[in-house]
Amino acid sequence: MRLAIVFHLTGTILRFLGAAFVAPLLIALYSKESADAITFLATGVAAVVLGEVMRRQIRHREWTLKRVEALAVVVVTYLLVAMIGAVPYTMNGMTAADAMFESMSGITATGATTLTDFDSFGRGLMFWRSMSQWLGGLGIITLFIAVLPRLAIGGRQLFFTETTTTPGSGGLKPHVRETAAMLWRLYVGLTLAEFVALMLAGLSAYDAICHAMTTISAGGFSPNPESIMGYNSAAVEWIICGFMFLAGTNFVLQYQALLRGQLKASIADDEFRVYTGIVAIATIALTVFLLQTDMATAAAVRSGLFQSLSILTTTGYASSDFSLWTEQSRMVLLVLMFIGGCAGSAAGGPKIWRQILIARYTLLELKRTLHPRALLPVKLGGKVVPEDVMRAVLVFFLFYLLLFAVCVGVVVALGADILTGVTATTGTLGNIGPGFSQVGPMTNYAGLHTVSKVVLTAAMLVGRLEVLTVLALLRPEAWRSLTLRGD
Amino acid sequence: MRIILIGGGEVGYALARALAPNHDLHVIDHNPAVADRFHPLDVSFVLGSGTSAEVLGLGDIESSDLVIACTGLDEVNIIACALAKKLGAAKTVCFVSGDDFLESVSGGYSLREHFGVDQTIWPEAQLADAIQRIIAAPGAIDAESFAGGQVRLLEYRLESGSPLTVAPIASLQLPRGAVVVAAKRGDTITIPHGGTHLKPGDKVIVMGRGDAMSTMEARVAPDGRNLRDARRVTIIGGGDVGFRLAQLLDSLDDVSVRMIERDQARGEMLAATLTNALILSGDGTDLELLEMEEIGRSDVLVSVIDNDERNLLASLLGRQLGVTKIITRVSKIANLRLFERVGIDVALSAKGAAVESIVREVEGGKAKVLAVLEEGEAKIFELVVPDDYPATALRDLATPPESIVGTILRHGDAIVPHGNDRIEPGDRLLVFCTDASADLMRTFFTSS
Repeated sequence: MRLAIVFHLTGTILRFLGAAFVAPLLIALYSKESADAITFLATGVAAVVLGEVMRRQIRHREWTLKRVEALAVVVVTYLLVAMIGAVPYTMNGMTAADAMFESMSGITATGATTLTDFDSFGRGLMFWRSMSQWLGGLGIITLFIAVLPRLAIGGRQLFFTETTTTPGSGGLKPHVRETAAMLWRLYVGLTLAEFVALMLAGLSAYDAICHAMTTISAGGFSPNPESIMGYNSAAVEWIICGFMFLAGTNFVLQYQALLRGQLKASIADDEFRVYTGIVAIATIALTVFLLQTDMATAAAVRSGLFQSLSILTTTGYASSDFSLWTEQSRMVLLVLMFIGGCAGSAAGGPKIWRQILIARYTLLELKRTLHPRALLPVKLGGKVVPEDVMRAVLVFFLFYLLLFAVCVGVVVALGADILTGVTATTGTLGNIGPGFSQVGPMTNYAGLHTVSKVVLTAAMLVGRLEVLTVLALLRPEAWRSLTLRGD
Repeated sequence: MRIILIGGGEVGYALARALAPNHDLHVIDHNPAVADRFHPLDVSFVLGSGTSAEVLGLGDIESSDLVIACTGLDEVNIIACALAKKLGAAKTVCFVSGDDFLESVSGGYSLREHFGVDQTIWPEAQLADAIQRIIAAPGAIDAESFAGGQVRLLEYRLESGSPLTVAPIASLQLPRGAVVVAAKRGDTITIPHGGTHLKPGDKVIVMGRGDAMSTMEARVAPDGRNLRDARRVTIIGGGDVGFRLAQLLDSLDDVSVRMIERDQARGEMLAATLTNALILSGDGTDLELLEMEEIGRSDVLVSVIDNDERNLLASLLGRQLGVTKIITRVSKIANLRLFERVGIDVALSAKGAAVESIVREVEGGKAKVLAVLEEGEAKIFELVVPDDYPATALRDLATPPESIVGTILRHGDAIVPHGNDRIEPGDRLLVFCTDASADLMRTFFTSS
């Protein structure tokens, strides 16, 4: 691995991250929060300077990106962006571990929070918290590939390292930069649409933009300590339901349906149909269970749909305190926590296409016992899934389970109850956010042991980068030929 | 007719043999070794490529009536046709072996429009279609349909106990609208009359309107037992024909298909493309595999390997395991009769059928040959009653012996006639006749 190249690419991205601080800076100035404004200015400048220094590690353009370097760029970028993003939180009095947790939760669009006193955050800082999710929702690298012509070299590798597409998925442009730009146009468009819709539903411009940014990114941060429940508005909940559904749907499909008129083909998509099926079943189950309590029918349907979508798409909003729901209802949500959204969406988690492949693989194995000589390829969308992809999916699940067990073990060993341990782990590893018990939607992760928080911070990163990207970097040979030189 | 054949392979040779006696034939092939084969035939052989204008010129392309491109390469056939058309050929026929060049789905491209191909022949697809027709007709060993599906023709082998064998045909009270047009006992084919008494082991050919044929189907099997629709189909060999057939059957919900393919890579391709068929990797002549997969419980076994010996073996194994309906592909036309003799009911040849379809079109003249049955021993003609022909009762029509008017098509209706029915000018007649009477029948209205 040639560190100079890793630094060069990461630096290029950081330089532009600095520019992103202008937005919270302006909000802070407008709200007359001068201390925060200075922090944003200083952090932004620091990011630009650091980025520029790193970028200058190489000047010539005669290099190509190796696989291990692409992995390193993605991981190092997320780490550095999280660290820089954590600076304003620490300046506001958070501990380093809490601030890093909060910042990582932002950039990975998780939505788990350690923030206990929402009043301690000014409007600028709260805006930055929401905006960090928006930047990370579609993938921070994808964002910069879309805007940076300089990432032409290696951009393709970086894009596919950060974003997993399903095998044989169409709709991608020949140039990765155009693909990224196409995704971002759609992403920005959806954000603006939700912003307008929420304004019309009666939210203030500030609340509307903050929620639009954290819905479309499937993030789940809310400037309101009681999340969506705090607005007590059916209209707002319905609007957010609609946009959460879109945030969990493959953006390439949406692009094809919206801008190319291929609605039928998009609806016929294998993964999309399973996704809608899961949403429908979960909503019905939750509605039935909620009706057994004192809830009114309209509210039960709405809460059922809202919470199903919120958990399945790994957003993590709460329209009511679901940690107080009955065991049956919470069981439904717990199952949803292990599924995730569609490939190419803003959602996290193991993702539906992987679940489909695992299910089909298992069923075909059963068939093979009856017909030992049969040729039984696993198919997705009518196309055969290559052997190596299938293997990667299986390994993904094995590692996912392994990491899950380790994290639960650590969190529980350090003093949390088992339900907290299990849901805090799925909440962070699956980039969902809230869980049950101690980490429920109306409580937060602040009460966990510091080591637990560090471990869960790592879990958010590993989960966001779909496990294998990060774990591959832990292999010794990734570091054996480490040099600083870039040629 | 002046005909140019491009490609002297198996198809080219069979065509030349059939057409040489009555037509001027130029055969073009680039392989000198091929020339010797054509030597005994009375044709002119031009050495060279069919894609060369100069070579085509040597075959007098400007004045040719028909160009048939039947080399083994689709691209060569298409270019040869395009070139021939440009140079003045009246009609071009192009053999293809896949759907790569056929019309695009959106209709933006067609072989006819852009390459001057008047007719495309895809022998493997035609064979697959024919097999599918036979599978779809329960109990039948041959099946054809005419007049847009209004009229059907089915061939059965009668088992002992079949209601058709209990009395002479006149006293069987067969459904109105269907008629027994032929019976074959041993190697002799006859047109039955009311007094004919059918026996078990005979093959019968029945023709009639769709509704009447459904009633007829119920009268064929012994003891009034219903013939079962094919639900389980086993295909041995996943080549062009097997693949195409599996695709046709794949979309049917009530048919389950198993396919045995020896080549691993080919099998993987099949498994990738077909949605419902179960692809088994192995040899169709491997008894252990056939038993393990319970092939004996199939309703139909289709053996379409590229090799006659292995096809025969697989088919006989299938019969041994208890499959009642077996359809086998024959590559060498000479083997057809042999296959039937050892008990294979339905033996079909892809190239043979393609050659036949061309020959019957070229030879047909005004009388269109709709189908050739029993290896050419019987044919179905479509004859048009001339406008100046007086309306005549069928019984007074002096048709040649060994022929029978199976159906009258009049104003879009299909009438299965009795002796009292009259034929009128403008009627189209579907006539069944044996090969011996074919020439007489063909010219019946023009000469009288």
